[in-house]
Amino acid sequence: MKPISWGDSDLADALDALRQVEARVETPPHVETALLAAWDGSHAPRSRERARSLWREVTAVAAAVTIAVGLAHLGRELRRTTLTSIEPVGDSRTLLVVGEPILQGEPVRVVRMRVPVSTLTGLGVRPATDSAATHVDVDVIVGEDGIARAIRVGM
Amino acid sequence: MREALRATPGELADSDLMGRTANGDRDAFATLYRRHHAMVYRFARLMTGSTSAAEDIVQEVFLVVMRDAGRYDPTRAALPSYLYGVARHQTRRRLARDRQFVALDPGDAESTQHLAEDHLTEAIERREALQRLRRAILSLPRRYREVIVLCDLQDVSYSDASAAIGCAIGTIRSRLHRARHLLTQKMGRAAPSEEDHQPLTMRCEV
Repeated sequence: MKPISWGDSDLADALDALRQVEARVETPPHVETALLAAWDGSHAPRSRERARSLWREVTAVAAAVTIAVGLAHLGRELRRTTLTSIEPVGDSRTLLVVGEPILQGEPVRVVRMRVPVSTLTGLGVRPATDSAATHVDVDVIVGEDGIARAIRVGM
Repeated sequence: MREALRATPGELADSDLMGRTANGDRDAFATLYRRHHAMVYRFARLMTGSTSAAEDIVQEVFLVVMRDAGRYDPTRAALPSYLYGVARHQTRRRLARDRQFVALDPGDAESTQHLAEDHLTEAIERREALQRLRRAILSLPRRYREVIVLCDLQDVSYSDASAAIGCAIGTIRSRLHRARHLLTQKMGRAAPSEEDHQPLTMRCEV
């Protein structure tokens, strides 16, 4: 090595030359290809997930509509049902027998549902609830044949 | 930032493209990449001295854009400054991982073609001088190297460099002054003589 005198202008010239060379340097095309592949990879599952989520929402709405229609039908059945007896079942709750009596050992299902107060009023029952309340929770006892047998309601 | 491509009428601004990218617009992301990849690649290449490292850094930078485009705030910094900031961070991680600079890549085909057009001796001298300058830049401490790369080799303004690095403009000026001084010293010290090109082996008769 031999020492040479380097000044500011030499450095400026050298940097300028290097800048010109570097200005011609381009990113290899495979980098863009890899990035766009990464984009596709990261976004494709998201759209599949979105479709799956949409399908879940549609299914949930359909189930809710089915349940609502079923409950409305049950409510109409209850309105048509003739109250046969009113039996206290302890505490402040009362069992309204609305159909065939429940047989000993008959398997039943209990369905908790919210019914309009007016439905119970139509059966001659005034539930224990606020005067402003329009709905009240009751337990509907459904027989094996799917027909409501009784309603348990707080009095 | 002089080098940064500005949106012309009819073209979407960087901030709009970032917004669209955040909303999953692939074309917006591709446009952003094509608009800014070169400056990120050159910065990374000059900072690391390696084309493969620079390619990795470009990918990392634009993966960050892909992931965090929604978090970009155009009121805080122009996109080129933001990209330089991300590239700087990725470069630091890469250099910390490698612990040492990777070997300088040989001159690319483009510069070789450029050399072939010049007078041969001048071209070789010029090429050697550039290689020495690259080595000298790579041997600078990182805080000096990045201001040389940004301000002297990428034509980034002092204010944009300060936004990218996250320091005051005065700090950029003082680091640049110091970096140029160090480079001048290194280049003067490292100038090779003809003897330096002699092979280390010699012919002898047995």
